[in-house]
Amino acid sequence: MKKALLTLLALSLLAWGLAQRYFQDPELERVKSGGKAYAEVFVSQRPDQALCSIHRNRLPADLLPKFLEEQRSLIKYPQNGKLMGDWKKGGAIFNNLQKANCFSCHFGSPVHLGGDVGPSLEKYGLKRGQSEAVQRYTYEVIYNAWAYFPCTVMYRFGAQGLLTPEEIADVVAYLLDPESEFNTKPAVGSK
Amino acid sequence: MPLKAWLAAGVLALAVLALAQEGVDPREEAKRQKQLLLETAGILPTELIVEQGKELFNRKGPSGKTMAECDFGLGKGVLEGAAARLPRYFLDTNRVEDLDGRIVTCMTRVQGFKPAQVKRSEVVAVAFYIASHSTGKPIQVRLLFPEERALYALGEKLFYARSGARDVGCATCHVTYVGKRAGVLPYADVLGKDKSWTHWPAYRYSNDQTWTMQDRIRACYGNIAHPQPDLYSLPILALELFLAYSNNGAVVEEWPAFVR
Repeated sequence: MKKALLTLLALSLLAWGLAQRYFQDPELERVKSGGKAYAEVFVSQRPDQALCSIHRNRLPADLLPKFLEEQRSLIKYPQNGKLMGDWKKGGAIFNNLQKANCFSCHFGSPVHLGGDVGPSLEKYGLKRGQSEAVQRYTYEVIYNAWAYFPCTVMYRFGAQGLLTPEEIADVVAYLLDPESEFNTKPAVGSK
Repeated sequence: MPLKAWLAAGVLALAVLALAQEGVDPREEAKRQKQLLLETAGILPTELIVEQGKELFNRKGPSGKTMAECDFGLGKGVLEGAAARLPRYFLDTNRVEDLDGRIVTCMTRVQGFKPAQVKRSEVVAVAFYIASHSTGKPIQVRLLFPEERALYALGEKLFYARSGARDVGCATCHVTYVGKRAGVLPYADVLGKDKSWTHWPAYRYSNDQTWTMQDRIRACYGNIAHPQPDLYSLPILALELFLAYSNNGAVVEEWPAFVR
């Protein structure tokens, strides 16, 4: 009886594992000819990445509640509990191509001309204020955009370890703080 | 080398100009820059590289044979329209090969060069030369052999995959955000109206680069901090076959192309 249950458990786990995978083994064998580093990101593709790949970035409605819940559970907060850090440090992160590269997609930086892949963030803090709700929303979207916009192009900065919680709080400050140059200086390209 | 010096000066001037030109249609801008370079230097970098490729094509390898002894898909030495039908499966190697790969096969199997002797710059120059014989031809790739179908399917999957620490993937920008801008240029509709497969091989005047589609695909990954596939590898070939097949029927305006 115990053995049968274990077998059933193993089989269902296997089925779940297979259902979540995007690339099959023969495909991964071919991908390996691309070199070790290239192949590794496909061999170790995360289940959430696989889901977005399978559904070409449009998740069916019935998968959404579980997906959003899982993405929410990945969000962690700064040790000191403050969601707004140092706006100057945040600016250096926001405007660095190698670091967060925010300006490439979002308009509003006083340092670089922004793109239009993402929504304009021009004078973000002046338009939205600094309430706890706005701070939390801004922090969480930067930490894990998929918790709000499943499969969006925006990097999951916290969830993927690209930025620490403290660095994300610095970026939140850069966007929200009324003293921040993001809010006091005109955006490059503003009319 | 007065010609090369002229060209270098011209390219530098263009690069400076290019930086000052934002918000202009990149295709129209490339045409303008090409005309400008032609007027100042008298010859285009693409023409120079095609000329180099022609010399290499007719150079004898260790076996005493030139590349005219190689079959690029339409028979020994036939170049007219050959590049527009690649990538494809070749019986003699039992592999799907693109233009780059087939040139390497020609140099190693027919001309007798050792794999280590094959220089990338020479492969690119010969690719420019062979591609120049397909200007005006429609793209005609097929999915006939099992390996062609398998690579096409893999290419489609890679195109739509989300991977790496930045969760990136080709389609996430080149399908979802076509026409939107992250950086200087708007995202091309590579599967649709922009027919991007027909833009390579090309000379990129903004960076003075001579690239085939292999280099272009590697740069796509590199630009978004994703590990790059090795040159001549199967994932590149798979993406190429997917892109080429998606652009089937599109007429090659000019190979090698002249792009930003």
